[in-house]
Amino acid sequence: MFRNYIKTAFRSLKKNKGFTFINVFGLALGLAVCLLIVFYVVDELGYDRYNTKADRIYRLNNDIKFGGHEDSYAVIPAPTAAALVSEFPEVENAARFRQTGSFRVKKGSQNIQEDKVTFADPAIFNIFTLPFVDGSATDALKAPHTAVINETLAKKYFGRTDVVGKTLVLNDTENYKITGVIKDIPRQSHFRFDLFLSMETLAESKQTTWLSNNFQTYMLLKPGANIKTVESKFSDLINRHSSAELQQFLHMSMSDLEKQGNYFRFSVTPLTDIHLKSNRVAEMGENGNIQYVYIFSAIAIFILFIACVNFMNLSTARSANRAREVGVRKVLGSARKDLVFQFLTESILITLVATLIAAVAAWLSLPLFNQMAGKEMSITLKALTWLLPTLIFIVVFVGCLAGSYPAFFLSGFQPIAVLKGKLSGGFKNGNLRSALVIFQFFISIFLIIGTLAIYNQLKYIQNKDLGFNREQVLVIKHAWILGNQTETFKQEIKQLPGVTNASLTGYTPTGGNRNSSTIYTSPVFDLKNALNGQVWTVDADYLPTMGMHLAAGRNFSKEMATDSTSLILNESAIKLLNGKSNLNQFLYKPLDDQMKKIGKYKIIGIVKDFNFNSLRENVTPLILTYGKDQGALNVRVSTKDVKGVLAQIERKWKELSPNQSFSFSFMDQDFDAIYRSEQRVGSICVAFTTFAIIIACLGLFGLAAYAAEQRNKEIGIRKVLGAGVTSIVTMLSKDFIKLVFIAILLAAPLAWWFMQRFFLESYAYRQNIQWWVVVVAASGAVLIAFVTISFQSIKAALINPVKSLRSE
Amino acid sequence: MEKYYRTEEVETIALNKLSMEVKEGEFVAIMGPSGCGKSTLLNILGMLDDPDAGSYLFNGTEVANVGERKRADLRKHNIGFVFQSFNLIDELTVYENVELPLIYTGVASSDRVKRVEEVLEKMQIMHRRNHYPQQLSGGQQQRVAIARAVVNKPKLILADEPTGNLDSSNGNEVMELLTDLNEQGTTIIMVTHSEHDARYSHRIIRLLDGQTVMENIMI
Ligand SMILES: Nc1ncnc2c1ncn2[C@@H]1O[C@H](COP(=O)(O)OP(=O)(O)OP(=O)(O)O)[C@@H](O)[C@H]1O
Ligand SMILES: [Mg+2]
Repeated sequence: MFRNYIKTAFRSLKKNKGFTFINVFGLALGLAVCLLIVFYVVDELGYDRYNTKADRIYRLNNDIKFGGHEDSYAVIPAPTAAALVSEFPEVENAARFRQTGSFRVKKGSQNIQEDKVTFADPAIFNIFTLPFVDGSATDALKAPHTAVINETLAKKYFGRTDVVGKTLVLNDTENYKITGVIKDIPRQSHFRFDLFLSMETLAESKQTTWLSNNFQTYMLLKPGANIKTVESKFSDLINRHSSAELQQFLHMSMSDLEKQGNYFRFSVTPLTDIHLKSNRVAEMGENGNIQYVYIFSAIAIFILFIACVNFMNLSTARSANRAREVGVRKVLGSARKDLVFQFLTESILITLVATLIAAVAAWLSLPLFNQMAGKEMSITLKALTWLLPTLIFIVVFVGCLAGSYPAFFLSGFQPIAVLKGKLSGGFKNGNLRSALVIFQFFISIFLIIGTLAIYNQLKYIQNKDLGFNREQVLVIKHAWILGNQTETFKQEIKQLPGVTNASLTGYTPTGGNRNSSTIYTSPVFDLKNALNGQVWTVDADYLPTMGMHLAAGRNFSKEMATDSTSLILNESAIKLLNGKSNLNQFLYKPLDDQMKKIGKYKIIGIVKDFNFNSLRENVTPLILTYGKDQGALNVRVSTKDVKGVLAQIERKWKELSPNQSFSFSFMDQDFDAIYRSEQRVGSICVAFTTFAIIIACLGLFGLAAYAAEQRNKEIGIRKVLGAGVTSIVTMLSKDFIKLVFIAILLAAPLAWWFMQRFFLESYAYRQNIQWWVVVVAASGAVLIAFVTISFQSIKAALINPVKSLRSE
Repeated sequence: MEKYYRTEEVETIALNKLSMEVKEGEFVAIMGPSGCGKSTLLNILGMLDDPDAGSYLFNGTEVANVGERKRADLRKHNIGFVFQSFNLIDELTVYENVELPLIYTGVASSDRVKRVEEVLEKMQIMHRRNHYPQQLSGGQQQRVAIARAVVNKPKLILADEPTGNLDSSNGNEVMELLTDLNEQGTTIIMVTHSEHDARYSHRIIRLLDGQTVMENIMI
């Protein structure tokens, strides 16, 4: 019996090659896209799960509102980790990380810059699963000036991995003894360091203040401990430890502070949530975004659905042709059940072929998709353990989903009616089919509008006046490497032909240093007088080099001796001060930890607001102080020959410091990097949208073919009566275009609302969706649909009516 | 005229150097055994098809191989068709079926109402104007088809076995209608298998294997 099903199914598919092709191809395309998205989602959801104790590990966060400014930090005060272990019985262990930037590591006479470096407590090896290939957790990172490196680094500097006991020379001066070599941290980890330095080395790690937040801190709960219990004790913990400090420096208690609307609040993020659900200040790496997972999953389901709809629509449209077969089979004694089975076999067979093609297509396009998604996914043996069952599931599920409607629809035909020819066309009661076509185009139009909205916003970001000029600025990194020669370096660079200006500071608007601090409007340090914002140390060349503009006052000047106590504020800071201080007035800052010495600063200028955060955020208060920061040398170039200038700069660098690596970036590229994930999502959406439209059009193409076939006779009659090609094409296309228009009416407002609400509103600076976006999407959809249908309609309209009438 | 059909294996000669002339106002019947080429001839006369060789003068103009657009234009203004299987459009009502040729020739809608009602009246089918073809008897359907064929006041009506699907009383009714139309000046060329029906015509052209074998003048 089953063989008979397969045989008939196979013949039926072979007989209807066009139908089979559209189904297999459409389904394969849809499934391939789905598979890629499944890879992506599985990959995103798999972060940090390599840790065997993952379900007991939590990172602590601090949400702070202070001095009119609110922020969410992934870092907390230094003493917290020890306090957690000693005061909370639920906590088994806790460990801290602290990054202070990149280090130069000596290899022979050369210094190589390493960026993935962190200071860490030894307890990280008890909390995270970081297996040792040499040495052990027992004595790793315990003593000051000890290090743990990964295999890659061990091979890079020593050519082998059994290097415990050897020494690394960092920044030319500091010796670190290697106490362990660990396996490289898996790709799916929210932190991926190559080099761990012992926390003991860092004086800052012994700080006792609870008012400064610099340490990423993780805790491991005891088995069975309840995280809720721990969380409920956080506010008491902060209170107990910071009240003395609050009294001393701000002369107030925690409750006073809270009464004024400020707060310090600890919270936790479960380890496995960090990658997708955490986006705080001072994350240890670039995290993913759960929203993208949702969006892509939704797209995958939609695309698969579009492909399944094609199958259902074409099968039922074809039903007129198959009705006779069903009738005959029923008369011959076939039960409905058998017919259902027969049609399901057919659709599962199609799905199987499509799935095989899709699997190969997905496998072949994985590298391309990796590039688009910024990932390094690969199909490993381990992946096959979930992949194969998934594929089998897809075949059965999609096969049944796509085949169920035709199976029950076709098998429900009454044999007498069919054989008497009463059932003149499967095309007449096509309400469900129409609804499905509307749904397909609804999704396609939704995707088009969504994609256009993303692109529009990205273009807006590209073209927005940021308040500074990021074009033609070279950022020479780590200028501090040159030591006391940085100033010489800067002056020499400024002399180079093609260089307009150069400013020495690591505080660049497109990233680099950040320093959040508080400054007061009166020498009595009271929260009411506090202004919290970014405080950046810059030189007198900063504003002209960056192309920033003063709204009032003047720039810093080398000639003015008093400028070391001068400030330039941005407009947002002035606004927040709300008249409490203004141009030519004064601000105050504690100069030591005890807040005894007080510095008095004069506001000499107001710089127009420029965007130094992502455009998702408003411009926040910024205070520029005059001084020497050697983080980077920012060089404004005026010539087209940027390469030539760069080569000269590098030559100067090598002259001053032959053994130090030279690294640089272009400021406009740094800016673009901030929006890389949006760019990625944008291009992935374009690809998916294209596929969705192609699949939807394939279905429409098939339906139009059947519609034309069903109306063959009518077309013939009309032509005999004098209808022209145009009127026939219009007649055939009208019905479908009507469906597309309904889809537009439904999709446009919904897509508009959705994108506005869930995408654009996350930007403080945004380009709202304009009417033309909707018009473009709508006319695009209509045009594509029309062209698709026209193929069939024109073909039908050109047939000699004699042919179609003959067959009657 | 000559007409061949080529299929993969064989070439059928549907019309073999056939020659004929029909005068304005004539009522001609074409008869012959099945497969002798009657329908083929009618299709060519109706400008639905082209002859492979020869010439077709319609009203003094050469219309063989003149191009689809021109033929379609000539056709819709000059020729009405009546088929054995009626060929009404199932999705349209009686009224709409009859209205169709007027729409295609661009008659204004106010005129259309008048003219459609006029022919429906004449064909005595007015009371069924809002019915669908499936709701009518065969004879009624053919009357609608004839109404549709004449609504544009064509010079020539081509009828391919118009009574083939009808019983004798309905058939006679249809033949009376055609005779009336002919008497009012319309040229009629009718294919038929029925000697009875052929007797309504002025002249019978008998075909065999795509050739004229005999012409009977009936008047
Ligand atoms: N499209 C076609 N392809 C191939 N051969 C055809 C085609 N149309 C007609 N023929 C052949 O041409 C010949 C004439 O056909 P035609 O339809 O004109 O016959 P007919 O006289 O109308 O017959 P009937 O009385 O049965 O309707 C037949 O032999 C037929 O098989
Ligand atoms: Mg015939």
